[in-house]
Amino acid sequence: MKHEMLCRPSATAVRFALDAGEGLTCEVGAMIAMSSALTVETTSRSRGGGGGMIKGLKRMFSGENFFLNHFTAHQPNQTLLIGPTMMGDCVHHPLRGGTLVVQGSSWLAATDEIEIDTTWQGFSSALFSGESMFWVKCSGVGELFLSSFGAIYPIRVDGEYTVDTGHIVAFEDTLRFQIGKASRSLIGSLLGGEGLVCKFQGQGLLYCQSHNPPSLGQLLGPKLKPA
Amino acid sequence: MEVDIRNRPSFANLMVQLEPGDRIIAEAGAMASMSSNVEISTRWSGGMSKAIVKRVFGSESLFVNEFSTSSPGHVVLTQPFPGDMVCTELTGNTLFLQPGAFIACEPGVTLGLGWAGLRSLIAREGLFRLKVSGHGRVWFGAYGAIFTREVQDEYIVDTGHLVAYEPTIAIRVGLVGGIFSSFFSGEGVITRVQGQGKIYMQSRSFSGLAAWTNTHLY
Repeated sequence: MKHEMLCRPSATAVRFALDAGEGLTCEVGAMIAMSSALTVETTSRSRGGGGGMIKGLKRMFSGENFFLNHFTAHQPNQTLLIGPTMMGDCVHHPLRGGTLVVQGSSWLAATDEIEIDTTWQGFSSALFSGESMFWVKCSGVGELFLSSFGAIYPIRVDGEYTVDTGHIVAFEDTLRFQIGKASRSLIGSLLGGEGLVCKFQGQGLLYCQSHNPPSLGQLLGPKLKPA
Repeated sequence: MEVDIRNRPSFANLMVQLEPGDRIIAEAGAMASMSSNVEISTRWSGGMSKAIVKRVFGSESLFVNEFSTSSPGHVVLTQPFPGDMVCTELTGNTLFLQPGAFIACEPGVTLGLGWAGLRSLIAREGLFRLKVSGHGRVWFGAYGAIFTREVQDEYIVDTGHLVAYEPTIAIRVGLVGGIFSSFFSGEGVITRVQGQGKIYMQSRSFSGLAAWTNTHLY
């Protein structure tokens, strides 16, 4: 399976070239266009994996859809074009045996060999990280595609790194994060508008997004007419 | 201090490489991520009384954050809306920024408050404007792309599209034509910029986004 990233970072789409028998699992609604010899199957489980209903429900808690779409090619040289709902960036993460923890709404697509599950990052992160309660856990060997509102930039963490809440896209599970205050004093953290931040520790790859949907929402919300 | 404006023009953000001794001052809440050795100190934006006035009348932040470090590190700074950013170097001159445009500056830059006048309020540009002066680089952003023009005499900008201008420029509010065309042309109130100097405009307006969203809600 070949893929190509188009129109980065403002309106990114991913174009796949699939051979007969190859398949891809995508977020519901991600498909933009496709060749006619691709079939779509909508289920609540990842390909070949167990779970079914339970995994579907867990995915709902992580901000994802209950269902997933499986695309399978039945003839060689089939094209599939996918993209996220909002304008923004996508990245490709080759998964080679490790585990990537993805912020709920950032998961876009994965090749069939990748196991998709949901994970819980603890109470404090659920309450204060500005992210979903549950995270999507991807493991195995295959290709993974993530999306975000804003541009995605990778950071190779070795030791410690600080990310403002709402800017995490995904991180390798060799990293752990804790909620902490942005500057030394609590007053400064609150007044400085940074409030609480996520402090990562360990060694591994971290993906951040340059923009943050809640910040836009805070500006836009007051200007909208009441429902 | 090396500062790179990345992902222009749709999702511009600043990658600031800090060496020991470097300092950068940023709008409250602008930090997206940073090395953990970078330190933040929070202070009033241009003094306490001015900061309060700014907060109340200019919808600006009360506080700014100063980032410094004792070992090399980086800070990523961003803005809430998608759009472009520009950098301009002040050499003793002054620039007026519209509320919300300011992102960051070097320590030699003074953040002040300028009275923009009731006219500016009518033009929905805010009663106050941010006055940046002194020596050093200033970074500011916009919703949409940013373009500039050297105004010679008079130039007309739609309300909500002006981002920054030099102090030699005077702002007047006007109607685009007669009463009829002002109401029905969709332009309504416009801003007349007069004088000689540089202006920065944005290709989209945030109130335009709000208006557009409102018509699509149900």
